[in-house]
Amino acid sequence: MAIIEIKNLTYTYPGATKPSINDVSLKVEKGEFVLITGPSGCGKTTLCRCFNGLVPHFYQGELKGEISVAGLETLKHHTHEMARHVGLVFQNPENQLFALSIEKDVAFGLENLGVSQAEMRQKVDWALHQTGIYDIRERSPHEISGGQQQRVAIASVLAMQPEVIVLDEPTSFLDPLSAEKIFEVIYELNRKQGITVILVEHRLDLTAKYTDHLIVMDEGKIFFEGDPRDILNSEQTRLIGVGIPKATLLYQMLKKDGLNLNKTTPLASEELADQLLEALKKW
Amino acid sequence: MSVFEGLRFRKVYSPIHSLDPRIKFIYVIVIFVIAIIFWQVIPLLILFFMQLPFVLLARVQKQWLRSLRGAAFLATFIFLLNILATYISSGFVLLAFDFERAFALTLRFVVLVESFSVFFLTTSPDHLGLALEETRVPYEFAFAFTTAVRFVPVLAEEAQTIMDAQKARGLELEKGSLLKRIRNYVPVLIPLIVSAIRRSLELAEAMESRAWGATKKRTNLYSLRLHRGDFALIAIIIGIIIVAAYVYIYFFASIPAITQFLQL
Repeated sequence: MAIIEIKNLTYTYPGATKPSINDVSLKVEKGEFVLITGPSGCGKTTLCRCFNGLVPHFYQGELKGEISVAGLETLKHHTHEMARHVGLVFQNPENQLFALSIEKDVAFGLENLGVSQAEMRQKVDWALHQTGIYDIRERSPHEISGGQQQRVAIASVLAMQPEVIVLDEPTSFLDPLSAEKIFEVIYELNRKQGITVILVEHRLDLTAKYTDHLIVMDEGKIFFEGDPRDILNSEQTRLIGVGIPKATLLYQMLKKDGLNLNKTTPLASEELADQLLEALKKW
Repeated sequence: MSVFEGLRFRKVYSPIHSLDPRIKFIYVIVIFVIAIIFWQVIPLLILFFMQLPFVLLARVQKQWLRSLRGAAFLATFIFLLNILATYISSGFVLLAFDFERAFALTLRFVVLVESFSVFFLTTSPDHLGLALEETRVPYEFAFAFTTAVRFVPVLAEEAQTIMDAQKARGLELEKGSLLKRIRNYVPVLIPLIVSAIRRSLELAEAMESRAWGATKKRTNLYSLRLHRGDFALIAIIIGIIIVAAYVYIYFFASIPAITQFLQL
């Protein structure tokens, strides 16, 4: 059974005239790494809020259609029940850390769930190790860099051991190097712990290589869904305003100029480099 | 921003910092009560000097002196007001003893400020929040307290950014009369408030996503446990209470005034 199932979901924020999500249907299998992209205001963030029931419990508004995550219908289960199953990481790392030490922040969710102290300590340490911030666990959130703050945010949802982690543009406040580190952490969690990841991101240059399930959204609808190599190679995707990876763009140009390259569209520079070397050797 | 500098707590480790905040608070309350009961100079002086070892052990002399300097203005005011009041009520005669009385009352105020400042200088907000939780204060209050402390530096930084942005557009903050200067800050305050509200919404969202309110019985990563130092402080507190009670019952009327020694 799919871990996330959405059928004909339509949602309108209170007071809004147009729905933010319009007739979206989606299936995500357990252990998948799903990448969602699309221009600003296309409904990505709203969709993220649907996964753990913030929409409609926190935001109210009108929700039609069906959505179930980890076997629970979010309409019937409150956000704090969903929190055990779905971890949501937000854009701004600063506004999701409340405690005065990192360790305490990571424990926040477990404290709310009423987990015993010994078990909590074990889970907190595990989450700190997984995200590589164990050494700074006693520092205060304002003393550390944005990249580290975002890793704390990831650790704090990870500590609750959810089946799904949803990340809503987790790197938009970060520099490219910290962003890359965050993506590596996420990918490791997906690969080693088998956690289903839903990542909303603009930086496809760095992330397209991790996924085989890409979703392109625009105006509250899913425009394309499937293999990123096909989707990113199409002209329409570029016109919507998706940031096509540079390797893919260069591949398209070279192909148009008649260079005989491998058939699979490259998503990362390493892949393109390999293909170019291959072509040069044949020459 | 220097204004907010004082609110930013830095982690310091000292025997006083690691004491249980609840015991420290009881200590402060005991000193407070004793300072209220006695109005003579000598016991108040003893109370004043009793705090010094704590200050020195915690290595917070500088901040402590700063807080005393902050209290100096009010202390002077209390002293002068007392002198004036006795002067008028006694038919415009002032004795040396009246000065001593005024001095004692001022000293009482200083002792109160001093002991509270030792408490707040040596207790981390984290510790204080934990103490609030463990004394069964509703968690919402404890959470509001620690979160407020957490966001002070963030908001200070934001205020600075907004001020810079408005200055870049030609806003002059340090010009004009006092009223004008206050009014100058409106274009800084409004964006600051708006962004704080937006921030609070995002915080609420993040809290919800991390199972806020899942159970009534919330647990805590840390728990306060009494250590050797805490028992030592409890012993000190009991000692202080016994001595104070003994002096109060048997010698209260016969505590000598400084003026008696000087035979004025």
